[in-house]
Amino acid sequence: MIEPIISVKDLYKSFGDVHVLKGISTDVAPGEVVSIIGPSGSGKSTFLRCLNRLEEPTGGQIFFKGEDIMKAGKRISLYRQKIGMVFQNFNVFPHLTVLQNITLTPVLEKKIPQKEAEKKAEELLIRVGLLDKRDVYPRQLSGGQKQRLAIVRALAMEPEVMLFDEPTSALDPEMVKEVLNVIADLARSGMTILNVTHEMGFAREVSDRILFIDEGIIQEEGDPESFFSSPASPRAMEFLSKVL
Amino acid sequence: MDKIIKILTKYYMVFLKGLWGTMWLASVTLVCGTVLGLLVAFLRMSRFKPLSAVAAMYIQILRGTPILLQLYFFWILLPKIMPFGMSDLACIVVALIINASAYIAEIVRAGIAAVDPGQWEAGRSIGLTEIHLMQKIIMPQAIKNILPALVSQFISCIKETSLASVFFVRELTTAYKTVQASTFLALQPVIISGMIYLVVTTVLSFAGRHIEGRLKASD
Repeated sequence: MIEPIISVKDLYKSFGDVHVLKGISTDVAPGEVVSIIGPSGSGKSTFLRCLNRLEEPTGGQIFFKGEDIMKAGKRISLYRQKIGMVFQNFNVFPHLTVLQNITLTPVLEKKIPQKEAEKKAEELLIRVGLLDKRDVYPRQLSGGQKQRLAIVRALAMEPEVMLFDEPTSALDPEMVKEVLNVIADLARSGMTILNVTHEMGFAREVSDRILFIDEGIIQEEGDPESFFSSPASPRAMEFLSKVL
Repeated sequence: MDKIIKILTKYYMVFLKGLWGTMWLASVTLVCGTVLGLLVAFLRMSRFKPLSAVAAMYIQILRGTPILLQLYFFWILLPKIMPFGMSDLACIVVALIINASAYIAEIVRAGIAAVDPGQWEAGRSIGLTEIHLMQKIIMPQAIKNILPALVSQFISCIKETSLASVFFVRELTTAYKTVQASTFLALQPVIISGMIYLVVTTVLSFAGRHIEGRLKASD
């Protein structure tokens, strides 16, 4: 068996008395595309945010290529460089141009020469159809364009895993597609992806595996076809009957 | 009116020197107060609880007691504890700086807190170190909240330096006292000093609005 790129062991997270994650364990293989679905408040976003320690887990272990990132200390930023993340609200840097958004971190943290970083950024912008926007500020972009920028900003660090936290939930309906296309492209290119999503059709189409999380635990997991056509757990059945 | 003109022709140098004293005091207070205020703000935001608590107490005491009382406090205390002599002016400058630092620390803290938390998360998730995150992402955005408030603080500083006249530090309110003592006229020199304050603060608030407008435009 191939070594998992991410391995989660018995992950717990509580906010005060509220227990959000109650023992989650799973392995993600390199190149695997995993969609995480579940009702709102089920802990799926918290789970994702624990993987790069934007949330500090209360218990458990997270391994990235066999290394325990809970023991990273200040080196956590090195792991984060290899684990890209895309947020629901884009979180592009409003005071930087599109190009600067992309080149800032590679130049600062990976010491890549500015010229080289710009060339790479332009290639990425071509890939997502934003090259004509290279010198504008994010305020001049639509939601879909901002999200595509956020994706290439993360890709510029050449991550080995990409985390998507409801990447299309804040978008106007007509812009959902352009962002999903970029993610689907990325999935086909062999990127390891963990995608928290409410887009069931998309999850079914691109995923290798579905994780259904509810009440802080993985209630069910499996390949998309069998999960969506014949869910095994009553909770998944109930959830799917509401959303499909 | 006649008397005001007469006083002005004879004593304009006193008022000009007073204005110079006021501007000098306010500028030194703002510049040093900002440096100290930044430090206090970062201590206040420190994740190390005792440091943060000390900074919070510092801010609370200085904002919760009258500035005139603080001037007396440092004017009495500093000459006693300093091994070298401290002039009245030096004591007052120190007191003004310390007082301003508390207000500026709050301005800085509020300015940073107003930056969207998503910006911190994005910067961290992409692998920026905390220092680079602060330098390149958070502070450039916080500065837009901080600068306009600093201009207001500068205006406050200009008005508060009038309290230094209690200790006969040369500034605009002391200029009024000086002129009053030599002319036995009270109302006219008060009006003159007041007008000068008003002109300076009005110019500054226009400048402040201009800065604010430009910062907004670049949003």
